[in-house]
Amino acid sequence: MNADQQMETYLSVLRAHLGPMTLNEREEILREIAAHIRDAQEEPGAKLDDVLARLGPPEKLAAQYRDGLLIRQASRSYSPVVLLRGTLRLATRGVSGMVVFFAGMFGYLIGGGCVLSAMLKPVFPQNTGVWMRDGHIVSSGTLLAIPAGAHEVLGNWYIVIMLVLGSLLLLGTMYLIRATLRLSRLAQTRLVGGLQ
Amino acid sequence: MARLRMNAAEDDSPDRWEAQLRKGVLEMAALATLWSGRMYGLEIIRRLESRSQLALAEGTIYPILNRLKAEGMVTSQWVEAEAGHPRKYYELADAGRKRLAQMADAWAGFSAGVNSLLEPVLAEKETVR
Repeated sequence: MNADQQMETYLSVLRAHLGPMTLNEREEILREIAAHIRDAQEEPGAKLDDVLARLGPPEKLAAQYRDGLLIRQASRSYSPVVLLRGTLRLATRGVSGMVVFFAGMFGYLIGGGCVLSAMLKPVFPQNTGVWMRDGHIVSSGTLLAIPAGAHEVLGNWYIVIMLVLGSLLLLGTMYLIRATLRLSRLAQTRLVGGLQ
Repeated sequence: MARLRMNAAEDDSPDRWEAQLRKGVLEMAALATLWSGRMYGLEIIRRLESRSQLALAEGTIYPILNRLKAEGMVTSQWVEAEAGHPRKYYELADAGRKRLAQMADAWAGFSAGVNSLLEPVLAEKETVR
């Protein structure tokens, strides 16, 4: 393989792994890396093999660009899918990311469950609610079998309370994830700035 | 800070620790190279190597510059060069200048404190040699 082909191969692998970026951004990155390779080759005693080796594998370089993009997008997003994908990327980096990912999953599931149950109340009024027996809550939610001897206490207030509770949980989860992603974006500077 | 501690707990090999440390200051160091004027990627890399022993996979700097640009810390411009191809020059934006000044203050205070803490350790190492 001659030098030009070798450089083309490097750039095309890089291009292939920059998938999620916009066309403009991708071309700009490729132009910049190509300029780097040409300039570095012209330094005294430089060989293309060394230049490419010092740049690192193209897959890894692309992954660093994608990390930056994903976390940047996610820290501004409202979509649970984008947010969870962002934390999933963090989760591959260490324990703290994993904790946030599972906390996020938990928050979305419980919050979504509350909202869903509130919407089911008008459909299954007898089977949805909060049941008490002897002053204790025995069960709540939308159930197939109502607990024996217990009575439902909230009535239609159930809809209001569950909607508010669910929305608060969903919003809280969203802000928690966005804050975490924003912090992690600053994690590199935090090493310095956080020690003030 | 929490992350630093966490990483230390996960893997306390000195190499890993040093790599984390380098990565941590890289963003500040990259901004610092631009303090007195615009530069293109390879210039920034060479400046980092010659002035601060921050040798690393050269590719690492480009995603960082990309992110700093997206955050409005630097601006960039393609400039036609004698080399026959244009180069992408980076310049500090006002926000980046301010951020770097804050980071420099924090760094100066922090490193002075740690250095004085390490003084006896380093002095002892000298005498052992």
